[in-house]
Amino acid sequence: MVDPNLSWLFWGYAAGWLLIFAYLFSISRKERSLRRKVAELQEAMEERWKQKKA
Amino acid sequence: MKEMLSEFDDRPAIPLWLLAAAAVAMVVHLYLIFMWVPTEATMGIVQRLFYFHVPAAVAQFTACFVGGVAAILYLVKRDPKYDDLSLACNETVLVFGLVNVGLGMLWAKPIWGIWWTWDPRLTSSFVLLFLYGAYLVLRPAAPVESRGVVCAVVCILGMADVPLVYLSNRLFRTQHPAPVLGGGPDSGLAPPIAATLFFGMFTMMLLWWCVLLVRRRVARLERAAEDLTRRSHELEDVRSY
Repeated sequence: MVDPNLSWLFWGYAAGWLLIFAYLFSISRKERSLRRKVAELQEAMEERWKQKKA
Repeated sequence: MKEMLSEFDDRPAIPLWLLAAAAVAMVVHLYLIFMWVPTEATMGIVQRLFYFHVPAAVAQFTACFVGGVAAILYLVKRDPKYDDLSLACNETVLVFGLVNVGLGMLWAKPIWGIWWTWDPRLTSSFVLLFLYGAYLVLRPAAPVESRGVVCAVVCILGMADVPLVYLSNRLFRTQHPAPVLGGGPDSGLAPPIAATLFFGMFTMMLLWWCVLLVRRRVARLERAAEDLTRRSHELEDVRSY
């Protein structure tokens, strides 16, 4: 006989893992976008330094 | 500026060996929970939530302590790297804390017949989550120059709540089950249950470490972006004169 609480167990594990991996996925995306932003800012700064020196 | 950017090279935030170890440990842990460990006699199959609930709590408390120590170090040394580590830890406290409390509620409904009760263990866990939630709300609202100090103080307060949560079912009569480890002569676990639980703690710590490394990298990149934007504005101001 299937335990009536089996669905609770699966819901629990699914929700737990989903929360952790959704968070990991969101911060990984944020890292990539911030990396791009920092690179763009660096380029802009270098451009301005060159203009200032000129 | 070059030194600032050199630390954000193309290396992934999580080392490959750690990622592989966490993935293997997760698969082994799931095998132990669903295929290997025997079903507990009183509660039945729903007791298996314990192997995720307790390790999530262990990861949450570890994050509280590491974040708290980093906050103290920030107050002493005023080095931004400690503030970044503290922020990264505190966000993971909330994530693993939600898993811990959420799974506890899912266990409580079939066993107690209710989702929640305001007993000392559950209330102190709720206060802990509330404190760290407040930290994350407060952080962007605090003035930049005093942000690190304000957040470090809130973080230390959060860390101080952890022993209260841990001891709540030892000091008070609670509806929450009595401690099964170090809870006196009647406590203890059958060897397969203990082995699955300890392996679960090990797995969750690996996973927490992975999450922490990525979040710390994000915190450092945010600081670098803020710093570069500020310098860029300063340069604009100099040019406009």
